[in-house]
Amino acid sequence: MSQDHDVSHAAGPNRRRILQFGAAAGAFAVAGPVVGWMPAAGAATPPVKPKGQAVIGLSQEPTVFQPLKLHIEVDEAVYMNLFGTLWRSNPDGSFAPDLAAEIPTVENGGVSADGLHWRVKLRPDVKWHDGTPFTAEDVKYNLALLVDPKFLSGRRAGHDLVRDVTVVSPTEIAWRMERPYAPYPAILSWTWLGPKHILEKEADVNKPAFAQNPVGTGPFRWSERVPGDHVTLKAYEGYHGPGPFLETLVIKYVPDLTVLYTQFQTGDIDYIGLQGITPDHYDEAKTLKDRTVMPVPKATTENLALNTALPVFKDRAVREALYMAVDKASIIEQLYYGLPTPTESYLPMQSWAYNPDLPKQSYDPDGAKALLDAAGWKPGPDGVRVKDGVRLEFTNSTTAGNHLREQAQQLLQQNWGDIGARMTISNLPPAVMWGDYWMLSKFESAMVGLDFMVGPDPDATDYFSSQAIAAKGGGGQNTTQFVSPEADALLKEGASTVDRAERKAAYLKLQALVRRELPYLPLFQYAMVQGVKTGLEGYTPNINTQENCWNANQWRWA
Amino acid sequence: MTDTPLAPARRFAAFLPGPRRAAMRRPRSRAVSRFLRHRLAVAGFAVILLMVLACALGPLLIPYDQLHIDLRARFAGPFAGPHVFGTDQLGRDLLVRLLMAGRISLTIGFAAMALSTLAGTTVGLVAGYRGGIVGAALMRLVDAVLCFPSVFLLLALAAFISPNVVTITLIIAATGWMEVARVVEGQIRALKTRDFALAAELMGASARYVMVNELLRNAVGPIIVAATLTVARAILAEAYVSFLGYGIQAPVASWGNMLNNAQQYLGSAPWLAIFPGLMITLAVGGFNFVGDGLRDALDARVEL
Amino acid sequence: MASFLAGRMAQSLVLLVLVSIIGFAVLHLAPGGPMAQFALVPGMSQAQLAAMSHAMGLDQPLPVQYWQWFGRLLAGDWGRSYRDSVPVLAVIAARLPATLELMVAAVALAVVTGVAVGILGAVRRHSVFDALSTAGAMAALSIPTFWFGLVTIYVFSVKLGWLPSGNRSTPGDASPWGYVHHLIAPACVLALVEVAVWSRYMRSAMLDVIDQDFVRTARAKGLTERRVILHHVVRNALLPMITLAGLELPTLLGGALVTETVFTWPGMGRLFLDSLGYRDYPVVMGILMVSALLVLLGSLLADLLGAVADPRIRLG
Repeated sequence: MSQDHDVSHAAGPNRRRILQFGAAAGAFAVAGPVVGWMPAAGAATPPVKPKGQAVIGLSQEPTVFQPLKLHIEVDEAVYMNLFGTLWRSNPDGSFAPDLAAEIPTVENGGVSADGLHWRVKLRPDVKWHDGTPFTAEDVKYNLALLVDPKFLSGRRAGHDLVRDVTVVSPTEIAWRMERPYAPYPAILSWTWLGPKHILEKEADVNKPAFAQNPVGTGPFRWSERVPGDHVTLKAYEGYHGPGPFLETLVIKYVPDLTVLYTQFQTGDIDYIGLQGITPDHYDEAKTLKDRTVMPVPKATTENLALNTALPVFKDRAVREALYMAVDKASIIEQLYYGLPTPTESYLPMQSWAYNPDLPKQSYDPDGAKALLDAAGWKPGPDGVRVKDGVRLEFTNSTTAGNHLREQAQQLLQQNWGDIGARMTISNLPPAVMWGDYWMLSKFESAMVGLDFMVGPDPDATDYFSSQAIAAKGGGGQNTTQFVSPEADALLKEGASTVDRAERKAAYLKLQALVRRELPYLPLFQYAMVQGVKTGLEGYTPNINTQENCWNANQWRWA
Repeated sequence: MTDTPLAPARRFAAFLPGPRRAAMRRPRSRAVSRFLRHRLAVAGFAVILLMVLACALGPLLIPYDQLHIDLRARFAGPFAGPHVFGTDQLGRDLLVRLLMAGRISLTIGFAAMALSTLAGTTVGLVAGYRGGIVGAALMRLVDAVLCFPSVFLLLALAAFISPNVVTITLIIAATGWMEVARVVEGQIRALKTRDFALAAELMGASARYVMVNELLRNAVGPIIVAATLTVARAILAEAYVSFLGYGIQAPVASWGNMLNNAQQYLGSAPWLAIFPGLMITLAVGGFNFVGDGLRDALDARVEL
Repeated sequence: MASFLAGRMAQSLVLLVLVSIIGFAVLHLAPGGPMAQFALVPGMSQAQLAAMSHAMGLDQPLPVQYWQWFGRLLAGDWGRSYRDSVPVLAVIAARLPATLELMVAAVALAVVTGVAVGILGAVRRHSVFDALSTAGAMAALSIPTFWFGLVTIYVFSVKLGWLPSGNRSTPGDASPWGYVHHLIAPACVLALVEVAVWSRYMRSAMLDVIDQDFVRTARAKGLTERRVILHHVVRNALLPMITLAGLELPTLLGGALVTETVFTWPGMGRLFLDSLGYRDYPVVMGILMVSALLVLLGSLLADLLGAVADPRIRLG
């Protein structure tokens, strides 16, 4: 329910798009650590006083306005503009300081060489929207609240390793990590901070009055919310960064993707985010006047998850044969209009840890049949293969009502039927599908879009560690019940050092291992067709954030 | 006065013929009116018959398989080329899918009708005959269930099951028996004080005998009418649940799930939405017209 | 009268409790839960989800949960939405105006059109108009509302471009015309079924009155036929129609739910489907109770008004 996978209208980066992407990343590199991010290169002189309005159209409704609480990706579209983080992730994966004065590194003394001791300097000039100064006490309060057992926290992992938080001065905070944890900077780049002076007075931290009238440090301040319809934000003129240049930012909820597209067409909406424009409207959208429409890569990959604890999927030959029989090209070219990029890895290709040298899948039904024959799966009287009394028969589930997935499922059904594997479609409402059915591995096979990373960090322990199988009492999301001592060792290696080269070596091996073992059959990396009205300047997609309105403080009308 | 919220089926009461005294004074108009009703009912019956025949035999005559995917033939328009009604988003022949979907939708309609009529009749019979606390308790249960928006019951129940023809039928029946129960209860309550029922009881007939042989037999007319309208309602319910994505699962086609898939192609391939919708309207309309005609005819017979 | 009212009130309360028990049980027993929406948040773990469930009290036995919910309800606390922590009544109140706007517009349209068609049909009984309106009303009752909505969007928004394809307003455009413009299509779609019902009821109500003594007296006095129909027949036929308004409420609520889905109208119906999808139990229960209350009030009101309008009906 929370993610792209539900309304998976994917698109892939075409060559031109990748080039643009690279150019944008270049601009960031130039910006340097002081300002952090800058208006897109060569922009006209920004207006002094914020003016104009931009309407962001999203197909899900933001509802959680306390940024530390459990929330879903669409909520972050609001947080990015209302609240601040210590630092942000740039499109190229580097960090840019926001509330921190600089990114702590071993070189500048912010992090000790063993990765255990942290010391973060904060900007002295930041004020909350109500005028109260932002200080290290705020950071300390937030770090404590995130791991408060009574609080419905959005994320504990990582924060639960933090010990001995000390306020050194109003502009400096220090802490110790229980053990080195490489993804922590990435986690902090997705941790928006709330004001201590308001939150600590809440009668019930889980039902905060704050959420009706949130106060942050972001470029826009809260104006109003019409439930089921929109949230309006107004420019915060005391903002510590560049901008904002827009006077009003409206985040509008339109539950139907077709209606959303129509409203973009008619000009009611200036920017379509999240799932964006459905692939079947892409060709038409490209021809629209005064609209810039482009596929933007997402960190999410589309996968067929196989529950490897089931007898039918225990045999690696079955998983391999099923993968060989997938007509990936037709799914991508025909059903998704050629927009997504085929992939063999669980990581997005923009990640620094991405392994580009994995073996390429090719559609080979005959090879799949031969593989099954060799492995002893013989066709039964009804054409379905059998081995040792186990029939090559299983269900496939995903969110009911996801049209493109349902079409892909039907094609897969035909593909797999051709090699003697019978798949039955059994889709479920989201609240059922992604409940215990998914988390406790009650599914047989599932079609799912997953972001395996921790924020922008490529650590995938939650998905591949044998300790992360919820069905066996583990705490993570290893729902395919994939067990591999080798993978466990690589994951541990990758997360416990801060040296990027060492981490990368471990993750390259892990990707090769996962590609060989195939707990997930990787289909493609998502990209969403997003559209912006011409004249809205400053829009820069960022694969390391959940929503591309991450820099709306830079947006302005030409 | 009834003391309960009225069932939506009650609205069909508006189609009852006008007051009898008017009719007696104008015999000719009444005849015309009845003939007209009769004609609509006959038309409705013909439509249903035609649909059942087409769905049963049609797929045998069409040289396409409803499940065969041919991505090169996606979105072929209707009335041009080899596919008479065009093809859908996976290049499957739309006509054969419509007819196969008709088998599913009509089967669910009839089966759900049979189940809910059986359940509703039983509850209504017991409540109407026994009366007292049992009757009151049963009828309050009926009232309570009728207080729910039927969509809520359908969707909440849909979460319990893995959707297929049998389970969807059960769900629709589970949300559709109350109106029949109410009709039957009213009839039985009125009939049980009539001479023939009292006479049977005096002659020592068992309660079961009186209920089934005396009361039920005389309430058959209204039950048939309610049952006919229940088929129409069940077809609509199936369409709605499948339209929302919680009904019959692909690749099996039902009229409702064909509409669900068609929604996003409304601009580029409107025929995908128009044909299934027309089929639903025709089928539901057919049953409504027949139900209306039957009520007219059967009511009169009861009066005579 | 007073005893009738007291009896009805007591009965309605029993019904409401029954509705709450059935609703609560069906909702909570159904598989899935409010945590599912967070399952695919990057980095989410089962351990964390289980902790959340525990903190929200969702791991307690169902009767205990019901009893707590019911106890709070009696104290006037309807709970808060799981999604945005807003009190349930405030959530509903925020959406109610949109639904009421749609319903009022549709009913107004349906009453005016339906009554006019009904009068004409009764006056010119067995004319071509009468036959067509009878058949048309039956057909209107047979068209699936959601499909009719789709076809309306296709014709008037996609093809002709006359009407917006959804939503209640355009952001930034607060002009009254903008609102009316958005209202036209959904109101017409919702009104279709109601027009059919109202026209049929009006027609038979007219026929009930048209041959009564006082009408013949009026005719005998030499009044024009037009005056007889308008002043004597229509006026008397309209009285029983008042009750119809109360009785049609459940149908109208159901129709509004469907219409709101198709037209992405930000009202109660959409809230209901969204909340059901997210398993936002407090909000779903809140809407169920409010709509059950409305349905019961509607039928009570219908009975009362019916009695007031027609002295022959005695309540008790």
